[in-house]
Amino acid sequence: MSRLLSSLRDGKGFDIVLVAVPLAFLLVFSGLPLIYNVVMSFQAVDMFSLGTFNRPWVGFKNYVDVFSLPATWPIMRNTVIFVVCSIAGQFVIGFALALFFARGFPGSSYIRGLFLASWVMPGLVVGAMWNWILAGDFGVLNYALRSLGIISENIFWASNPAWSLWAVIVANIWLGISFNMILLSVGLAAIPRDLYEAAALDGANGLQKFWTITLPMMRSTIGAVISLGLIFTLQQFDLFASITSGGPANSSNVAQYWAWEMSFRQYDFAKGATISVVMIAVVMIASVIYVRSTRHEVRG
Amino acid sequence: MTAQIELKNVEKYYGAYHALKNIDLSIAKGQFVALVGPSGCGKSTLLRSLAGLETITSGAIHIAGERVNDLPPRKRDVAMVFQSYALYPHMNVMDNLTYSMRLKRKPRAEIEAAAKEVAETIGLSHLLDRFPRELSGGQRQRVAMGRAIIRNPKAFLFDEPLSNLDASLRVHMRKEVRALHNRLGATSVYVTHDQIEAMTMADHVVVMRDGIIEQQGAPLDLYAHPANQFVAGFIGSPAMNFVDARISESGEAARLNLPGEPLIPLNGSYPPGRSVIVGLRPEHLSVVGPDAGLALKVSMVESVGSASYISCSATPELSFVVEGTTRLRSGDSVHLAIDPDHVHVFDAKTRLAIGVVN
Ligand SMILES: Nc1ncnc2c1ncn2[C@@H]1O[C@H](COP(=O)(O)OP(=O)(O)OP(=O)(O)O)[C@@H](O)[C@H]1O
Ligand SMILES: [Mg+2]
Repeated sequence: MSRLLSSLRDGKGFDIVLVAVPLAFLLVFSGLPLIYNVVMSFQAVDMFSLGTFNRPWVGFKNYVDVFSLPATWPIMRNTVIFVVCSIAGQFVIGFALALFFARGFPGSSYIRGLFLASWVMPGLVVGAMWNWILAGDFGVLNYALRSLGIISENIFWASNPAWSLWAVIVANIWLGISFNMILLSVGLAAIPRDLYEAAALDGANGLQKFWTITLPMMRSTIGAVISLGLIFTLQQFDLFASITSGGPANSSNVAQYWAWEMSFRQYDFAKGATISVVMIAVVMIASVIYVRSTRHEVRG
Repeated sequence: MTAQIELKNVEKYYGAYHALKNIDLSIAKGQFVALVGPSGCGKSTLLRSLAGLETITSGAIHIAGERVNDLPPRKRDVAMVFQSYALYPHMNVMDNLTYSMRLKRKPRAEIEAAAKEVAETIGLSHLLDRFPRELSGGQRQRVAMGRAIIRNPKAFLFDEPLSNLDASLRVHMRKEVRALHNRLGATSVYVTHDQIEAMTMADHVVVMRDGIIEQQGAPLDLYAHPANQFVAGFIGSPAMNFVDARISESGEAARLNLPGEPLIPLNGSYPPGRSVIVGLRPEHLSVVGPDAGLALKVSMVESVGSASYISCSATPELSFVVEGTTRLRSGDSVHLAIDPDHVHVFDAKTRLAIGVVN
């Protein structure tokens, strides 16, 4: 007994306890639901078998069914557009702002702090705000575009199938800019000043310094920002719920919102699970890329 | 001959802080100039102003005859070796060396030939594939120098390049840097706070304090004829002794402000009765038999084998050097003779040298 106690206090036992607690937590709250979800995607699930675990196995039938639905490919396409354009927009604008604030003019750190406002706001609130901005009849965006003479009549952003997905993308870019900017600012701040001075003496102009010093030194930060952006973007649900609800006619529907619709609107839990398993696979690939990009850390 | 680097009335303010005050400096082609001074005196600021990394508030800087005040660093054609080395961590040694050439899109063959030659010059040929993090401090130092050499610039600027190295490597690199300078026929400006480094390496030493140039000249000139008490105390190791004194009636001796008010002879004639500070280098004091010289009590003996540094209790403390080891122990009494040829006299108020002894 005392040996067990002393091993707990300062031996291997303590290490094991330290590791076991978070592992148990992860297993119960992430691992089991994940496994349950994967299992469900290989079963036939209906309202009556929902409460049991022992359901008829159907192999890949759910996957075949999901991929033969007519809505699948447009929704996958929307998802790709949503993810790529959101990340590109967030990253480019966030990086530009990070570079801008890194110049360190008076008040720059305070103004940079203000950008965090978008980050601390719940997605639903952001969605409601963008709903107003994008509103067809009284929205400020239409007002601005009309005043500038860019459009002649109001566009109903959220209910026009040509624009609905872009309405959510714009809101999501706005939401993600601060996250990108803060992370990239941290990365920029970690690059020693004297590298730029050495490069300036070696004959580099501003653009050359950016390509040969900033970008390579930011490699791991950029990898992290983009991988995390991918995960956050694939998780983005609130904005769809509050701006377009995936409509009209699935024109702004994406995989994550669709999975929820399948499960909790149409009560087709098996298809909902199947869609989310596909998404998990994509996120895992992104995570591997992220881990690999941080492994090649070049600072020293 | 026109100067390679010329500074005229250069002033630099950081906000309200006056970092460089009326700097005039002329550096001939091929000269090795050392900037020395205590920490915070503006050495780095001056060097960075030459490089274009700081903009000066007023005055003019000319490099090879061209006014460069408004030129950005990349157009000044000077190379700098930083104290931190500032190697590009994401590039290997080869890429670090050839960075400037690759920016200029020089032909590949030319780049490789230049890199090979420079790597040989600095003895790094076998390390071209390594990354900076895989190099020792001394090797990084060499890469930083190689990166400067490959550009064949109008001037080399060094900002305390050896201060991160251990003592023996530092002594070795001192010689190497100087040899390299000679071989390349380069013009170098070398910042250091170590006066020995400055004295041993440079043709011309510039002593700075609080943003002004206190004195400049050949190393041994500064040693023999310091213009003021600051330079006298800064140049030379161990440091010069200073004793308050008053010039005698005759003007040819000084009465030291020590117990017994000893009178020491001076070489030449000074204003009688003037309050002065007498400067005596430890190496110019010698032990003599009793009944002569200054009578003092030994308070500490430090021996390094080749020489012994002996401090005597007086206010302020007086120290002197003897060759080899010594029998003297703490508490012994000793008599010191002073060579009148080597007595420095400074005005007690202005601290400027008066009637420089020779
Ligand atoms: N960017 C700056 N802003 C304000 N003051 C500065 C700045 N850079 C330097 N100074 C001040 O200018 C003075 C000279 O600095 P400098 O770096 O030239 O000193 P130094 O002689 O190189 O000292 P060290 O031997 O410690 O390197 C210092 O008092 C320093 O505080
Ligand atoms: Mg300095």
